[in-house]
Amino acid sequence: MSLRGKAAIVGYGETSFTRANVSRGEPRLSYWEYFSLAAELALENAGMSKKDLDNQGLAIVHPEVNHPIFVGVEVAENLGITTRWMITTSHGGSSGLVSLAQAALAVNSGIVDRVLCIAGDAPMTYGDTMMLTEHRRDYEKPFGVMGPTSLFALVMRRHMHQYGTRPEQTGKIAVTQRDHAVLNPNAIFRKPISMDDYLSSKMIAEPIRMLDTVMRVNGGSAFIVTSAEEARKICPKPVYLLGFGECDNYYHGAKQLGDVTFTGVGQASRDAMTMAGVTRGDLDFLQPYDDYTIAVLMQIEDIGFCEKGKGGKFIEETDISYKGELPINTGGGQISAGQPGLAGGQVNLIEGIRQLRGEGGERQIDDARLGMITGIGALQYGRNVGFNSVGILGTEV
Amino acid sequence: MSKFGVSADHTEGNKRPKPLPEITPFAQEFWEGTKKGELRIQRCRSCGHSQWIPRPNCEECSSRDLASELSSLSGVVYSFTIIRQVVMNSSAFEAELPFALAVIELSSGVRLIAQVVGVEPEKVSIGMKVEATFEDLSDKVAVPKFHPVA
Repeated sequence: MSLRGKAAIVGYGETSFTRANVSRGEPRLSYWEYFSLAAELALENAGMSKKDLDNQGLAIVHPEVNHPIFVGVEVAENLGITTRWMITTSHGGSSGLVSLAQAALAVNSGIVDRVLCIAGDAPMTYGDTMMLTEHRRDYEKPFGVMGPTSLFALVMRRHMHQYGTRPEQTGKIAVTQRDHAVLNPNAIFRKPISMDDYLSSKMIAEPIRMLDTVMRVNGGSAFIVTSAEEARKICPKPVYLLGFGECDNYYHGAKQLGDVTFTGVGQASRDAMTMAGVTRGDLDFLQPYDDYTIAVLMQIEDIGFCEKGKGGKFIEETDISYKGELPINTGGGQISAGQPGLAGGQVNLIEGIRQLRGEGGERQIDDARLGMITGIGALQYGRNVGFNSVGILGTEV
Repeated sequence: MSKFGVSADHTEGNKRPKPLPEITPFAQEFWEGTKKGELRIQRCRSCGHSQWIPRPNCEECSSRDLASELSSLSGVVYSFTIIRQVVMNSSAFEAELPFALAVIELSSGVRLIAQVVGVEPEKVSIGMKVEATFEDLSDKVAVPKFHPVA
């Protein structure tokens, strides 16, 4: 039984992102407050009150800052609601889409009618983060690995070596996404950048420059999922989940000596397009998870917009702006809007919902009806990303 | 100092310690090995598969009968980066900036991430032949670093 068109998003909300610089008058909030703020925004947007969520479902994305494992029930306590179904998702940047898919399964199975999905994180407020992987502690940090930036640099160098990918190509992603962030009031970076700015930006872990990476921020977002049937009754602009695919721990070739330039987004996107009954050409936009520009480029290849290795050329030849043939990360993505810790995966998802509701403001894509959103997370030792998920959302079933 | 410019005792002239791993049960033999200048890589006694990093079982056949096999110390650079800034790691690495960090494909059929030393980071290239040397981080822990060989 396919999930296609069985569930819909009937409300959403996103806080603005902040570096929590107190001397500039920016608030320094806890992740608990971001959960509350985001939930409030989504409820208001859906025209619901907390009563509508009582005895319903709750999906919480684990923050990256040090937090209790029982975070879910504490969020329910703060909201003052009882739930009939609750999950917490721990899929890194893929968590928001996994929450969405799980929520769709829950409403489709009849366990609950509505699910509130929330993500919030506050890396600027807290010093300590959770242990994300043991290999980072045991085989990366003592060996001189500088977190995901160096691991992605190793993947990017290999991509450049195998296919001749050039910095001007990843640079076009950074420059275009910044143009989009300028038009996004929630974004942290609102000043345009040029290709020269990109090329001269500081090398962190060659070939990765400062402008290839995300800026960590505090923030949160939430959305409410109901059955498609209920959505049609209560929401003037429901956004339907038409397709979903998940692919975790993807191997491309041998387990030890596989090709690291492939992500599991290829397999996940094929599954999602099959479920939705659509092809790439039908999509009005792509909101790919973007912790690094090379991640965007690899996903474009893996989804099949071009052959593996031709992503750089594709970017060069394609207008990826909100006005273009394939609009990409129309809110600036996490690279220019900011990465609110592990709530980061919902940045791309919320922008997809916004575009499909025609609420993209100055960066609205003309007649956006069908879009693809991806989530990736957990860069594995000497490999590519561990979690991959793809959702296809649309305005009609 | 060793001939490759790697201090045997990292605390020499640098008081900040590098982060240490937790020595998990299935990684014990690896860490005992590095202390003696050896790379011991898990090899499955049941199916012959070699794997790095250490795991509780063979990722191919799931057998827990894993040998810690002595690996060749030589390999080639599969990919590399030049680290120019310390992020999400100990400031102890600041003294070594900039440095090359590489994925080394060992002739034993696994890939390992480690620093490449004894050469200008800008001179490191994919395909470069390298060999392991070891840096002591504590009385229980040494980590491999690689240097180019002809």
